[in-house]
Amino acid sequence: MSSLSARLLISVSVLLLFFFGATIVVLDTAFVSAGEQAREDILDGHLMQLLAAAEPNDEGALSLPIDLFEARFNSIGSGLYAELRGDANSVLWQSQSALGLALPVGETPALGQHVFAREELSDATPLLTLSLAVQWEFPGGELKPYVFKVTESLDSFNAQIAGFRRQLFGWFAAVALIMLLAISILMRGLLRPLRQVESEISEIEEGKRVSLSEDFPTELSGVARNMNLLIDSERARSDRYRYTLDNLAHSLKTPLAAVRALLGESTDTGFSERVNEQVDRMDEIVRYQLRKPAASADNLVLTPVPVEKEIDRLVTGLRKVYRDKQPQIETQIAPGMKFRGDTGDFLELAGNLVDNACKWCNKRVRISIEPSSSSRAIASGMNMLVEDDGPGIPAAAAEALLQRGTRLDESRPGHGIGLAIVKDIARSYGGKLAIRSSELGGAGIVVSIPPVSSAS
Amino acid sequence: MRMLVIEDDATLRESLASKLLEEGFAVEQAADGREGLYFALEYPVDLAIVDLGLPEMSGLDIIRQAREQGKTYPILILTARDRWQDKVDGLSAGADDYVVKPFHYEEVSARVNALLRRAGGWASSVLSADPVKLDMSRQDVSVNGTLIELTSFEYKIIEYLMVRAGEVISKTELTERLYDQDFERDSNVIEVFIGRLRKKLDPDNSIKPIETLRGRGYRFALERNQSA
Repeated sequence: MSSLSARLLISVSVLLLFFFGATIVVLDTAFVSAGEQAREDILDGHLMQLLAAAEPNDEGALSLPIDLFEARFNSIGSGLYAELRGDANSVLWQSQSALGLALPVGETPALGQHVFAREELSDATPLLTLSLAVQWEFPGGELKPYVFKVTESLDSFNAQIAGFRRQLFGWFAAVALIMLLAISILMRGLLRPLRQVESEISEIEEGKRVSLSEDFPTELSGVARNMNLLIDSERARSDRYRYTLDNLAHSLKTPLAAVRALLGESTDTGFSERVNEQVDRMDEIVRYQLRKPAASADNLVLTPVPVEKEIDRLVTGLRKVYRDKQPQIETQIAPGMKFRGDTGDFLELAGNLVDNACKWCNKRVRISIEPSSSSRAIASGMNMLVEDDGPGIPAAAAEALLQRGTRLDESRPGHGIGLAIVKDIARSYGGKLAIRSSELGGAGIVVSIPPVSSAS
Repeated sequence: MRMLVIEDDATLRESLASKLLEEGFAVEQAADGREGLYFALEYPVDLAIVDLGLPEMSGLDIIRQAREQGKTYPILILTARDRWQDKVDGLSAGADDYVVKPFHYEEVSARVNALLRRAGGWASSVLSADPVKLDMSRQDVSVNGTLIELTSFEYKIIEYLMVRAGEVISKTELTERLYDQDFERDSNVIEVFIGRLRKKLDPDNSIKPIETLRGRGYRFALERNQSA
């Protein structure tokens, strides 16, 4: 699970479920037991009143009035029933409400004991019963055993509990929903700075900003500050790397140029040629090694290169250099296209290819550059095709040409190294170089740089 | 032609200067950026060779400032920084061509001649204005296909006049551009050389290649066969 808010919402939901579940159980238990206690107390009261209403009759037995003090005893099927049992559980009297009902006999309690029990009618109606066994002393001193029993149907009580539970669940569900909603709104607010960090990093990747802003909450300001330091140091490292390479190139090649100049003054031509060969070799090594790519595609601090503008500068420059030849250089560039990489690397790719094309063409050079994309790309790639109408490159020679320092035609120095450098730079951006023939009649060199995908 | 060489490496600079001198160019040398900029702005220069990595001030800044001050002479960059970004920056700043170190002098010489020729509006290294032909790479002059024997100074004069064919060149300018250092040389010497050139190129005074404009200077008067 990748989203922080989803994680938090699920955790809070589980917590709420447990908390509210426990609360519901506790409340329900308390409610039910309080309800039962109240009912037992009421039954006790009824039993006492029944005892008070019982009187010995002339036949030496106990009798109870037809109409009792509690109206529900007198109304058929009211749910409140009373019974008087004599010896051997024989029913001596029943309240009018129990007319037609066979109240369960139940256990006979020990003398003088109040016994509560849960029993059922024959139609499975649940009952709460209270029985009391007494010995009644008649005027003659005779003692007779009786059982007074009051029974109440639990149907209404159960309905009351069900209603209570429905309300309990309803309210708690509503409260839980409101809480989750409130938490998710709160989360959006709390996570906004994180989303801001994310979008600012994207903007840095797209070259729209140079560093993270500083108005983050305290918890994130340290992260943002360190991130900025990292970006700065990466930039400085990149610049230092390039500066060092430039300086190294300068300090190695100027003496080489001086050696070559001094050799020009030598009268020993054989010696000069031999040393010149060594100077050439050293020069090739220095050129190749010191023109390593400055960046790679996954570098955070890259600023997108405006392709049209840089190609325009390059073409204008090369038109000066090839003023005698006057090549017709056509450009076909997707409008507004950006190359996500280092400007130096981009110019190295385009410069080598277009310069070669100008060298080899008869008259025409064509530069076509378009973005390449994929569904998961966060930055598009680039397909660059540079064609000319020159002699072209035979397939067998193409691969050899891609190797470092291989020159197809020694009379045009540097050709092989240029392509090898292009190949290296393309590779550092995850791309590749291909040589094919062009519809213009000469060579067509393709550099394909893949898009930067979110997974990389 | 007066060259300006701005290069901090003494061996390289002096070697370049001596080769250019051998080819008949007048040469000014500057060893750092600040001195180079002063020469580039204040001296009469036909072409500047500028190293990009200089102490005091970068070659790019010199080129920019020279162009900003309206200097239009060709500029050739010498660069050890072989990156295309540096080449493109240099060309965008106003340079006309580049040579990457370590170079063969012949490469520099070829570029220099091509730039001078282009600056004069010539497309090929053979300047042709019938019946006179001047081959800049071979440094020879022919009239109606016959090679003419010229001293190096005579060649320098006819080359300068032909490269800028049609333009009036004053005696002072010729003196400045062709003599190394010594601007005070008697301008009568120029007249003597022009007289000799006329005799060699046009002994029977029929084609009149060099015109004298009284009080203003000289002009190569024959029509170009080709131009850039």
